[in-house]
Formats: sequence, C-alpha cells, structure tokens
Amino acid sequence: MAELGRMIAKKEVSPVEVVRTHLARVTALDGKLRAFITVCGEQALAAARTAEAELMAGRAAGPLHGVPYGPKDLYNTKGVRTTGGSRILADAVPTEDSTVVARLAAAGLIVLGKLNMHEFAYGPEGLNAHYGDAMNPWDGGAHRVAGGSSSGSGVAVAAALCPGALGSDTGGSIRIPASLCGISGLKPTYGRVSRAGVLPLSWSMDHAGPMARTVEDCALMLRAMAGYDPADPTTSVLPVPDYAAALTGDVRGLRVGLLRAHFTDVAAAEVRAAVEKAAKTLEQAGAVVDEVGLAQIEHVPAASFAVVATEALAYHAEWMRTRAADYQPDVRERLKLGAFVSGVHYVRAQQVRQLVRREVDAALARRDVLLAPATPIPAPALGEKTTRLGDGPSDVRSALLRLTRPFNFSGHPACSVPCGFTSTGLPIGLQFVGRPFDEATVLRAGDAYQRLTEWRARRPVLA
Amino acid sequence: MLPPMEIDLDSMRRAVRLAGFDWSDAELEAIRPILERTLALLAQLEALRLSDLEPATQYRMV
Repeated sequence: MAELGRMIAKKEVSPVEVVRTHLARVTALDGKLRAFITVCGEQALAAARTAEAELMAGRAAGPLHGVPYGPKDLYNTKGVRTTGGSRILADAVPTEDSTVVARLAAAGLIVLGKLNMHEFAYGPEGLNAHYGDAMNPWDGGAHRVAGGSSSGSGVAVAAALCPGALGSDTGGSIRIPASLCGISGLKPTYGRVSRAGVLPLSWSMDHAGPMARTVEDCALMLRAMAGYDPADPTTSVLPVPDYAAALTGDVRGLRVGLLRAHFTDVAAAEVRAAVEKAAKTLEQAGAVVDEVGLAQIEHVPAASFAVVATEALAYHAEWMRTRAADYQPDVRERLKLGAFVSGVHYVRAQQVRQLVRREVDAALARRDVLLAPATPIPAPALGEKTTRLGDGPSDVRSALLRLTRPFNFSGHPACSVPCGFTSTGLPIGLQFVGRPFDEATVLRAGDAYQRLTEWRARRPVLA
Repeated sequence: MLPPMEIDLDSMRRAVRLAGFDWSDAELEAIRPILERTLALLAQLEALRLSDLEPATQYRMV
C-alpha cells in the first residue's frame, strides 16, 4: 500500500490503472479463492477517477491516496450491501458508511469490494456456507482454511487481489487469518478504533483493525482509521500518533518478553522453532529478550466464552427467535450456547478479566512488547477437527483461538507478522503484544522484524 | 459457591425459556454434548476466589 501510494503520488501510475489491475486479478482468481462477497467494480473505477482528478489538482488526501482496499463485509458501506457473511442480511444496504470506512475514504482510499468472512464473525476457521469458504492461497496440496473470521481479508491480501483490507477481531479474527495466510494484521487497543457502523459479535471483545502485506501498511491505515468517535462511546480521546514515523527499524534496547508456558511451548514444533528463531533475530539486532509467563491465561477460555456467548446471543436474539434456520449450523449452535450462561457467570468472567488485564499490564511494566506465536498451528485442512499441540490433543477451533483471544479479553494491542514457513510451505505467524495505546511500539517491533527478514516477500503460487 | 448446572433435558428447556427462546427437544439434544463441555468450562470460574475483585469493563475512559 505504501509503495503504491508513493507511485501514485509521483504520478508513476494512475489510481485508475491500479484499480483496473486489481479488478482484473479479482476476475481471474476469485472464482476459486472466494475472497470477495461483493465486487464494487464500477464504483471503484469512479472513485479512482475522482482520486486521479484530486491528485492532478494537487489535493492528495494522504500517503494512501488512490490506493484500493477491501473492507470485511461487516463494515457498513453506503449504498453497497453489507451482509455480515449471512443470508439474513444478504440484501441489507446501509445508508451510511461506518466511521472507519468514512475515514479511509477521506484519506483517499478506494473500496474495491466487500470481503468474505465467517458468518457474523463467529468462527476462527473462516467458513461460510452461504457465499463459499474462502480458500487459503498457500494451499499445500489440500484445501486449507484461510482462518477467520476475516478470511476474505486474509486471502485477498495474500493473493494480491487488493493491497490492504479491514478485518475485525473478537478472539483473533484479524491475527488468525494473518497468521494462516502469511500477511500482517493488527488488533489495536480496545478503544483505539471506532466500531460505529461495524456489525458486532461481542461488544466488549470486538476490535476493528487493518490487514496488509506489511506492518508499514498497517501503520498507515491505522493512522487514517484511529481516533475518538462520538458515535462509539468506547473510543479514546488520546491523540493518534504518526505511526509510520515510529517505524525507525531500530530495536536496540527494546525489552521483549517471550511468552513460554501456555504460548510458545504449546505450539507445534515448526511453529515453536520459528518463533524462537524470531526471538534470536531480534536479540541479535539489539533487543533484550527474556522469558515471561502469564499464569492467569488458563482462565481465559472459560471467562471469554461466558462474555462472548452472552453478548453474541444478546445481539442475535431476535433473529434466533424468528430466523434461526437461516444461520449456518455451526454459528447457530454456538449462539444457542449463550442461553445457558447465567448473569453470575458473566460477572465472574468480568472479574477474571480484571485478573488477566493486571497480569498482562504487570508483564509489560518491565518490557516493551511480549512475543508469542499468533497461532500454535499452521493452516489446517478443510474439515480437520482435531490437532495435536505441545500439551496434548485439541480441537482445531480452540487451538486457533488459543494464543490470540487473551488479548481481546485484556484489550492490549497485538499484531501478527509472518515469521517463517513450515516444511510443507504453510505460513507461520509471530505475535507482538504491547501496552495499551502503545501501537507505535508494537508496530515498530513488527516492522523492524520485517526489515530483518524476507518472509513478507514470499508470494503464494497461484494458477 | 454456585451449585453445578444440571444438564438434563428438562433443565435445558427451562434455561432456554428463561432466556426467552423456544427450541425443540431435538434442537436441545443436538447441542447437549457441546453444552456439557461448556458447562464444565464455566464450572472452572466458580472455583476461583474473586470476591475482592471488581468486574472489569473495556471502557478505559482514557
């Protein structure tokens, strides 16, 4: 995105050419990949012509002026259907943009289309019975899941159908597809980015964030997206820094805590090795790396389940009474479980949240970032239900959520960047976690790591 | 300490009714296995000493 933005600003390439090229690639490849639910061909070209005119008149809106991107199909887009990946909202056309989409438009970005997702964001596999499962472009001989719930966002960026995307993250739904698809994705601090006009799954766990090939691209998108929004009372009034300016490439003296127990140590062997090697890479570049544990993390699955299950069913209650048959089966069954969580369980879960938040804050009091795998396994095959982790067998769903969900629960910013590939060519994701509202340090660490390695440059081979 | 939640069909019917839903016995039976695992998960919360902790919200008010 940054590179395209620079070329557009120098008039080396027109926004119209850029959009046409990406639309042609979508036409050629998306029949198989299923990254898009809706392609906004004519609207994107019209926006590109406007962007070109603005550029020629000396009114470029910012470093991403004229660059196309795709919002996950739960971000309201004025005049363009926003399905939530569902049959229930198949024909729902918002009359207003979500705040984030409006802000990116003001920054000159162009919506290429709406991206596929797990129905109503309620799944880490990225499966969709209504619009088809987005297919991981790193397919290693089997149909592999893209990860979710922002599956289309992960696939679209990995396959270069669009250079950037918006995802949302409730238990890992930006970082999981970023990890499985070999791209970068950031879940900001809760309250850093507005959720107004974004279909909710769980209000206190949902986060809106960017997904792109590089951390630099994520930084540029975040600068345009973030900030207080009166339409979302959870947003912070803290000023939005220039995140790109923080990308110095320098990690000398950066204090990094490698999360061992419950994180790196439970990962599959190749994932563990890649993360340990990443820690060494940072250390050789001058970072100070030690090991740290988070004992309260073991309570996160139970507590976060109580929160998400009740909040999700509360949002979906009316449809679950009147249109339950229109949900895909796994989402419908998950929603039903919310009916069995008592109010007392919900409050106790929020008390556990306090415990977890304090422990992560304490770990970060003496460190700048924490380091862990983003997912303990690479992309599973479609239909695979169980896997083996370092501490025993696990269902795939729980495995995918395991290392990302704690930071939705605590609200700390976290990003996933590629840190290697398995012996069968599947991407491995590295997760950086930072202090609340210190996305600048998280992004600096991730960007520095990317400058020290070549992982982000690899592309999937596509027919 | 809260008593463990029962998971017989009648208890399931009562729980969903209290929550405002009306699902058939077949629908309830279909989710019983995952519900049993879920309730076991929730039971972990009851074992924790949390009485002196105020519940958190995500509203940091910063």
